[in-house]
Amino acid sequence: MRVGLFIPCYVDQFYPQVGIATLELLEKFGCEVVYPPNQTCCGQPMANSGFEHLTKGCNDLFIKNFEEFDYIVSPSGSCVLHIKEHLHGEGVAAHLHGDGGDRSTKGEGHSGGRGTTIPRKIYEFVEFLTDVLKVENLEASFPYRVGIHQSCHGQRGLKLAQMSELMAPGFSKPEKLLKMVKGIQLINLIRGDECCGFGGTFCVAEEAVSVKMGKDRVADHLHNGAEYITGADMSCLMHMEGILHRQKSTVQVRHIAEILNSQL
Amino acid sequence: MSSSRDKILATVKGNQPEQRALPELPVAAGAAAPGAAGTDHSGAFISMLESIGGSAYLVSGYERIATILREQYPRVGRIISGCPELAVIAETGERYADPHVLEDVGLAVLRAHFGVAENGACWITEDRMIERALPFIAQHLALVIRCQDIVVDMHAAYEWIEKYVPAASGEGGADSYGFATFIAGPSKTADIEQSLVLGAHGPRSLIVFLIDEGLSDAGFY
Amino acid sequence: MKGKDHAALADEFNKDEPRVNWHDETLWWVRQKRDKAAHKVPEWEELREMASRIKDNVLSNLSEYLQQFEAAATANGITIHWAADAAEHNAIVLSILRRHEVDKMVKSKSMLTEECHLNEFLLAQGIDVVDTDLGERVVQLAGEPPSHIVLPCIHKKKEEIGEIFHEHLGTPKGNADPQFLTHAARLHLREKFLTRRVALTGVNFAVAETGEFVVCTNEGNADMGAHLADVHIASMGIEKIIPLRKHLGVFLRLLTRSATGQPITTYSSHFKKPRPGQEMHVVFVDNGRSTHLGRTDFRSSLKCIRCAACFNTCPVYRRSGGHSYHTAVAGPIGSILAPNLDREKYADLPFASTLCGSCSNVCPVKIDIHEQLYKWRQVIVQGGTAPFAKKAAMKTMNWVLSNPSVYHGAGKAGRWFMLNAPFTVNNGLNPWYKQRDMPGVPKESFGEWYKKNKK
Repeated sequence: MRVGLFIPCYVDQFYPQVGIATLELLEKFGCEVVYPPNQTCCGQPMANSGFEHLTKGCNDLFIKNFEEFDYIVSPSGSCVLHIKEHLHGEGVAAHLHGDGGDRSTKGEGHSGGRGTTIPRKIYEFVEFLTDVLKVENLEASFPYRVGIHQSCHGQRGLKLAQMSELMAPGFSKPEKLLKMVKGIQLINLIRGDECCGFGGTFCVAEEAVSVKMGKDRVADHLHNGAEYITGADMSCLMHMEGILHRQKSTVQVRHIAEILNSQL
Repeated sequence: MSSSRDKILATVKGNQPEQRALPELPVAAGAAAPGAAGTDHSGAFISMLESIGGSAYLVSGYERIATILREQYPRVGRIISGCPELAVIAETGERYADPHVLEDVGLAVLRAHFGVAENGACWITEDRMIERALPFIAQHLALVIRCQDIVVDMHAAYEWIEKYVPAASGEGGADSYGFATFIAGPSKTADIEQSLVLGAHGPRSLIVFLIDEGLSDAGFY
Repeated sequence: MKGKDHAALADEFNKDEPRVNWHDETLWWVRQKRDKAAHKVPEWEELREMASRIKDNVLSNLSEYLQQFEAAATANGITIHWAADAAEHNAIVLSILRRHEVDKMVKSKSMLTEECHLNEFLLAQGIDVVDTDLGERVVQLAGEPPSHIVLPCIHKKKEEIGEIFHEHLGTPKGNADPQFLTHAARLHLREKFLTRRVALTGVNFAVAETGEFVVCTNEGNADMGAHLADVHIASMGIEKIIPLRKHLGVFLRLLTRSATGQPITTYSSHFKKPRPGQEMHVVFVDNGRSTHLGRTDFRSSLKCIRCAACFNTCPVYRRSGGHSYHTAVAGPIGSILAPNLDREKYADLPFASTLCGSCSNVCPVKIDIHEQLYKWRQVIVQGGTAPFAKKAAMKTMNWVLSNPSVYHGAGKAGRWFMLNAPFTVNNGLNPWYKQRDMPGVPKESFGEWYKKNKK
């Protein structure tokens, strides 16, 4: 199967090792992985700030780069959720604009001129491993105490793990994979799925609350003895890492792809 | 010139979304006729009532109720009851022209219709309240139900109200009351730093007596 | 004159970190109580689905249900009034008071009357209104609006409440015991109930089938007011209608568990007819609801039963407090209702969120709150209310991200600056940097690595 690798813009620029780990793991599991070099961004930072109408360029570029693949995989729950929910081709019932009172099938935020199958075949990295590749074991080793941060879009949007709000059976795809890693000790948290406060431009527009939320998440992990904080979204981890470094903490963040790909 | 009513209704009608059907409600469990044989919910009811700050007593009848009330409220002052059987300890059979005269009532003892196991509530209609204000203005409140008159949940409760709760006039069902309420435990508040305090503006305590005619009195006197 | 927005108010709120921790922990505890109660109801998720569908049916038949309620209630001796907006609601209440030559009244909790600023209006007309819900009385004495629709003074510590009561009720200075203070309030408000002839309550649910309405309280204050008054006025938003009485079974099972974790409030009072000799009035209030009903994306916010579960779960609300939303109904639901009332004044609220989605999943009537927050952002920005700097920044971002070569260049340049001239980003102008370090700078981007190693 041909997998198109989508690397979020901030991972590309600041955390290339996450992209490398993702790529290596997918290849280990037998995928033919291609990284289209002209990719940039999914458009979420603009859309979440109310500028969905400016994302046409991003959307067109995304479709151009990725339409041909059997699957598109990305180490980012929020980017994948955004693409799934907001990447539309013409002719598909679109987001309502204006006063929210009329239905329109056209709009600046949608790729003009073509439909797309991408929303149906794009997967976040963890769910690709559990649901498509059906990974049952890993040759990985990470003998440390690790706290899992359940990023909101991945958890509540992509259903990577059960959310505490619902009265429903528990499950966690990230945890399932991490448990395959030799030597790992997963810690319990006091608040298992509270938001870290990154939230896109929220992290600077509402800096005080954003940081407070991040500090509280970090404190939960520290209180429970984490040596590493992991998760499926580097944006959350980047935010918590910024706080950890400011606190001069020895606790580090690692994207789940890095842990699943790590050797002794 | 159209009134506000006309304008509001016209705008609402114009903006209503397309029809969405009502869902099926759960089949009310345990909504059998009063007194019918079935699951006994009194244990669950008592446990729930106690967890919300109320007290419960299983009793054989009104003599036992009178005894317990004398013990629990020795200095409560004025007692008013809707149960003629309690004339020995309470004002019964009176009507009051003005609810304000009930201001000094220490204890009201009233018959309720049934209890609800899932939340410890009792349903009472105004014809059993003597005055609407009484169950709220009394410092303490006691309600009396038959121990077999307990439904499992609120769906069953509304089925009972629909089918079995009689009006003062003796007719049944839906249109029978001008005022009615579910009372679940004593009045309370947690508005001050989430500290639960029993006794806000309504009664400071609540007892529910569950009459079980099969109980024997031996050993209580 | 533009007031401070949520971000500025939240920033002030966060200056006292221990207090934020206290506020956050208190409300998180209420969320946990909700979870505990919901876990005890095996069919909880089915109940939410039922409640959601009942309310969908209400919205699609609202005009019929309003008329059905009006007919039934009128036949039972209740007088129905229709208020197009807040001003009309307030005028109706005043006219009833004037007709009875009354200048003192008691009021139990009604967020609708907060929305209409009824208290201020009546005060200006020489009417003394006493709020009888304990939390509401506290904030009334303190001269503040409530910060939470169910727990009005959750932002106040008991010592502060003790001070307020000492000043206004004469309780001993320094007494902060909740039991003692509640009892003091009981005595103080009992006198009001006994001496005032007009009581105003809210409405939790109005049943179209029978013309009765239900008022839920733990304190019994709505009942103490109504049953001692000559006149009972009940104010309700037109969306509070439900079709059948048996639907109360669904809503009363969900409401208080969602709100406080209790299985039910102490009192769930069903008002159908006035007491003999009493006047009972119900005021239907529109105030923008009929317009909102026409918005495909946003109308479902009218399903709200005002339980505040969304407040308690919201990590932003818990760390910014209700007053940061500068509106009567705060929190997540407030953030999607308020822009309907005033697009400009409340343009900041849909952005006071990380879109984490917790709110939508505790909502007993399944309002897609976090999705509406996202959609309001689009409406607000396209309506032109975004600040110029933000618009410019976004346009730039769009250009960069639509052009791969520009993106690659910008990324490389950005990393160069961060590595070689870190002071350009590590400074006071960079809001990220205030309390967080910037991410480290790798020697090459993923794209550069891939080009070198895999192509």
